[in-house]
Amino acid sequence: MNNLGKVLNHKKLNDEKVLVAYLVAGDPDLESSLDLMHLLVEAGVDIIELGVPFTDPIAEGPVIQKAHDRALKKNTDFKSIMNLVNKFRISNPQTPIILMGYINTFVTNKKLINMKDNGIDGVLVVDIPGEFNLADYEINNKKIDSISLISPTTSDDRIKTIVDQSSGFIYYVTLRGVTGSSHFDKSEIEFNIKKIKNLSNMPVMAGFGIKTTEDAAVLASYSDGVVIGSSIVDLIDKNSDKKDFESVKEYVTDIKEAISQ
Amino acid sequence: MKSKDLPDKFGFYGEYGGKFVPETLMFALAELEETYKSLRDNNEFQTEFYRDLSQFVGRPSPLYFAKRLTDHYGKASIWLKREDLNHTGAHKINNTVGQILLAKHMGKKRIIAETGAGQHGVATATVAARLGLECHIYMGTEDVRRQSLNVYRMKLLGAEVHAVDSGSATLKDALNEALRDWVTNIESTYYIIGSVTGPHPYPMIVRDFNAVVGKELIDQSKELFGKMPDAILACVGGGSNAMGIFYPFIEYDEVRLIGVEAAGEGLKTGNHAAPLNDGTPGILHGAKSYLMQDESGQVKGTASISAGLDYPGVGPEHSWLKDQNRAQYAAVNDSQVVEAFHLVNKLEGILPALETAHAFAYLEEFMPTTSQDEHIVINVSGRGDKDINTMAEVEGIDL
Repeated sequence: MNNLGKVLNHKKLNDEKVLVAYLVAGDPDLESSLDLMHLLVEAGVDIIELGVPFTDPIAEGPVIQKAHDRALKKNTDFKSIMNLVNKFRISNPQTPIILMGYINTFVTNKKLINMKDNGIDGVLVVDIPGEFNLADYEINNKKIDSISLISPTTSDDRIKTIVDQSSGFIYYVTLRGVTGSSHFDKSEIEFNIKKIKNLSNMPVMAGFGIKTTEDAAVLASYSDGVVIGSSIVDLIDKNSDKKDFESVKEYVTDIKEAISQ
Repeated sequence: MKSKDLPDKFGFYGEYGGKFVPETLMFALAELEETYKSLRDNNEFQTEFYRDLSQFVGRPSPLYFAKRLTDHYGKASIWLKREDLNHTGAHKINNTVGQILLAKHMGKKRIIAETGAGQHGVATATVAARLGLECHIYMGTEDVRRQSLNVYRMKLLGAEVHAVDSGSATLKDALNEALRDWVTNIESTYYIIGSVTGPHPYPMIVRDFNAVVGKELIDQSKELFGKMPDAILACVGGGSNAMGIFYPFIEYDEVRLIGVEAAGEGLKTGNHAAPLNDGTPGILHGAKSYLMQDESGQVKGTASISAGLDYPGVGPEHSWLKDQNRAQYAAVNDSQVVEAFHLVNKLEGILPALETAHAFAYLEEFMPTTSQDEHIVINVSGRGDKDINTMAEVEGIDL
């Protein structure tokens, strides 16, 4: 069992909600990313989602788009992201790391993903059709889970197919829109997550658009955990000048507390 | 599998094409495909489409013998398929007239589109105005600047033009932004993609609506020179005008199909927009196709004098035709395009769009390989009024 499986099992046994945090690797630079990964774990993050920057991130709102651009300006590529993961693993062998990004860079760098013991526990490719398996694209690493998105517009038939092709957990997209949008339909979210849980034993995380502790608490009550992305990326950007990320830590700590109640 | 039967049920042309989009869009693509398939062979729908093409667009477009251009090269007879004479001035209207009918049948009240040169934006704003639908056009800020005439036209037609500042601020980024809008407003909105690009079923739908050009050409060729053309030339950015004129001819092996890409500052400089000539297979905007990308899979910047060809990808069916050797893809650079632009103006009294001028520019290399008993056809995809400012700037003229 990989780190991800262990953490998810542990959380389930203890009836605890999972906190997943997203940041873009290389924003504002790789050294800061390393510091931020440790800081997030200290603040109570259970799973780290590392965004792999891409020139054309069509599922991202402006906040994360700009983070992708900043990381690319620093020449962040797959290889340097793998180095970042290796450095993180020196002092933290246990926190699951998921790479999240777009299929073109994942296919181009499949050798790095397929490498043994590379410290990665899961991949989430935003623009791969849910009915396909990553193995169809020669991304095939037994230690790495393939996490899929299910959205409010996913049909019941597709939910079944997607669940069959996925492992780790299901990422439920809480709204129609790009990352960082707002406007939740809470009853729809509750209804859809129940539906997914009827078809699968996997945990379901809710993400896209969670900003406040209130959002996080409500969505955590319907799901097994929440994913926080744009708000963290925004705080990272606002504090990149001085590289003092204390406010990121405070924000994440508050979210953790909100979902733990 | 024969090219005529493509794409397959997953939306692939061989290894190219597909639906590589975020999950939220998958339902909308399925809905669109279902609607299109139910209407494609429906007589009423076809009658409505062809009536609009005839009475609103002004089809069929003429096939015109370019006598002085033919004499200039002294080789094959050169014929021009005059898509520049369509309402709104380019082939783009064929596709928007068709897609707006799909939108109407699906009950969508809000229309979005991306545009590069602005021709697709104008064609979309035009059909939306005609049906009284809300219309939003995404356009890179760089293109808003160099195609200001078309921006004003879109506004006159009641569309809201959104300047896109992200990335390279050109067509590729406009497409990104349109996709983001679509994800957000998925239930109310119909996205009219302007080329044979994007996720399935778009490359198929846009091709089919544009194929009216090739279908007309079959009849006109027989009537005017008594046989099939020996070769058909068309410029290729995303590739919709080329696909529209090529498609009905794919099964006629004797007809050479030649696409001309934008070599920008020259293929060797890397500053161009010619993925079929100097790219590798990759995935952008929902489809696998030839793509300008670096070793780590990032999409490269493009350069071309023409906003409409300034795109790092190309329609998946062109990639298939290239690999099958059924079509050839050449490239001409900006300075060759400027020369051709002048030549066509002076010899034929026709002001071609800079995109279209790429196809004309390739004649310099191509014509010497032809003979006098042959007939070749150039798809004059659009007229060049929109490019007057760019040309004046290139030549240092203050208008």
